[in-house]
Amino acid sequence: MNGALALIKALEAVGCETVFGIPGGAILPAYDPLFDSAKIRHVLTRHEQGAGHAASGYAQATGRVGVCMATSGPGATNLVTPLADAYLDSLPVVAITGQVARPVIGTDAFQEADIRSITLPITKHSYQVTDPDDIPHVIAEAFTLAASGRPGPVLVDLPKDVLAAPAAWTEPEPPVVVRPRLDPAGVRQAADLLARAERPVFYVGGGVVRAGAAALLLELAERTGVPVVTTLMARGAFPDSHPQHLGMPGMHGTVAAVAAMQKADLLVALGARFDDRVTGSLARFAPEALVVHADIDPAEISKNRRADVPLVGDCRDVLRALNASVTTGGDLGAWWAYLDGLRTTFPLGYDWPEDGSLAPQYVISRIGELVGPEAIYTSGVGQHQMWAAQFVRYERPGSFINSGGLGTMGFAVPAAMGAVCGAPDRQVWAIDGDGCFQMTNQELATCALEGLPIKVAVINNGNLGMVRQWQNLFYGSRYSQTSLGSTPDFALLAEAMGCVGLRCSSRPGVDDVVREAMAVRDRPVVIDFVVGADAQVWPMVAAGTGNDEIMTARGLRPLCDSDTGEDL
Amino acid sequence: MHRLSLLLRNKPGALARVVVLFSTRDVAVESLSLNPADADGLSRLDVQVRLREGRSVDQLVHQLRRVVDLCEVSAA
Ligand SMILES: Cc1ncc(C[n+]2csc(CCOP(=O)(O)OP(=O)(O)O)c2C)c(N)n1
Ligand SMILES: [Mg+2]
Repeated sequence: MNGALALIKALEAVGCETVFGIPGGAILPAYDPLFDSAKIRHVLTRHEQGAGHAASGYAQATGRVGVCMATSGPGATNLVTPLADAYLDSLPVVAITGQVARPVIGTDAFQEADIRSITLPITKHSYQVTDPDDIPHVIAEAFTLAASGRPGPVLVDLPKDVLAAPAAWTEPEPPVVVRPRLDPAGVRQAADLLARAERPVFYVGGGVVRAGAAALLLELAERTGVPVVTTLMARGAFPDSHPQHLGMPGMHGTVAAVAAMQKADLLVALGARFDDRVTGSLARFAPEALVVHADIDPAEISKNRRADVPLVGDCRDVLRALNASVTTGGDLGAWWAYLDGLRTTFPLGYDWPEDGSLAPQYVISRIGELVGPEAIYTSGVGQHQMWAAQFVRYERPGSFINSGGLGTMGFAVPAAMGAVCGAPDRQVWAIDGDGCFQMTNQELATCALEGLPIKVAVINNGNLGMVRQWQNLFYGSRYSQTSLGSTPDFALLAEAMGCVGLRCSSRPGVDDVVREAMAVRDRPVVIDFVVGADAQVWPMVAAGTGNDEIMTARGLRPLCDSDTGEDL
Repeated sequence: MHRLSLLLRNKPGALARVVVLFSTRDVAVESLSLNPADADGLSRLDVQVRLREGRSVDQLVHQLRRVVDLCEVSAA
């Protein structure tokens, strides 16, 4: 056996079923035994960035480790963006890269890039294997590290001669994963605070999804009657149809969710990290709230906002413990009356464009209604992403897969490809922007060839819409370099790649075209939704301002201008 | 100024990961010295660092503990 075969056997042994990648010189030895593997499906992507995001999509759709593979040098550096993306969104991803042979490492050999050093700040850990006998246990360790604790990307760099050299096979040890032990005193304190709070909020982040703790969250929420907000990474962790759900907080959150956090006397943060897109100006964030902060990563606790009660632990353990110790909450009648008032006065909404063009928000809400909550939705980054977070109703954890921390344009199509590989029985819809789509649409060729029937709804506003929105609001409507023009023809482009290409530009056509796409099962479908260019994402908390200054439309600041809630 | 004392496994990349973490988190390194530790396969890294205003050394210690090849860290 050589190192390459040991690698493939090790991947099989740890349960890897799908690898996304592209071969090349240094990783070539690994592709030879991979050719014979009956257990591993290799998906040949068109760009390594696609392979990396596909691994992330797969990981989020399955809850298992996503794997991508690339050759040395440019293959490896093309993985940098997906690794940074997976790092910021805490996704279990293992990247396997070829490297030049050991004797020439450090000589600027052909296609040599020091990928370990390049990725140090964006990987949880990395290995460069120098002894072929180490391959099985390094792979096992990499998988365990990627998936345990706070998940994250792990890089395994394999010099070509190590792959080619004889290797001894040792069965990788099954991983021993210890979850941090919860501090019972902290749990008691949290339960006490919950019992006494008059204005509590559950601030739910992606950690609840990663931990598979959504059912326990539902139990705690119903036991206590406490309002729930779900961040961009946690959409679906609590059902949108649930009356206690106030929606998404943050820069483009609902007025009720933003106000709830702002006016709370107790914030219970569950697997969330007080990101600036949620808190707005930290100095002005939730001034009266005590904070219970539960996270598996102690480094997140008190990083941005001091926690009064730190709870280091897996969200499953935290929620189980809270369910066991919380009796009933206090009387939240006044609190709910205030929040319900906000919900009724400031629901999410949108205006139809005056020029008669299609409202992008309408398109996205119709997709959500027709396709339903059993599907998986992915998105790119921009206005369409925020509308996908606001206007699709999510009922299941992990049903919205998007790039939260890094905000990576081009995420939607490859992530959808990865998701459908992991969840072939679910419909997968990518809600993409015309700008984002032009960064990674080549993976549609991969999807067509591999029989991966994803649906892509391109929200084609002819612009880098989110940037244009900022130019409109903060740069005097000077639209510098944000118009994308009207080419290419996305429907024709889709057809050229072996997909079905459709187009819709009017309100009555929306339902029909979505149904037409849903009926196609053997090929990917792209729908070019030609929408108005001037629609904006509201509400909005402008970057750096306080959440109190949330605007429901240009210049309209409901929490500043009125006294609502001042007497709460 | 804070003194940190770290015990690292002698694995390739361990020192680099710690140093990059300082740079990523905008921690200024005033002095740094790496020496073999008493135990086999371990090194002792003594560092003096300056933190940005408002950042806590506890937080830095937690971030250092995420480094897989770090065995121990203490701050004085
Ligand atoms: C790789 C990358 N480059 C640049 C940006 C900055 N950026 C954020 S949103 C955006 C516009 C996205 O345009 P589009 O995909 O058409 O989405 P829209 O906002 O129009 O819905 C840009 C350029 C980014 N987030 N990622
Ligand atoms: Mg656009």
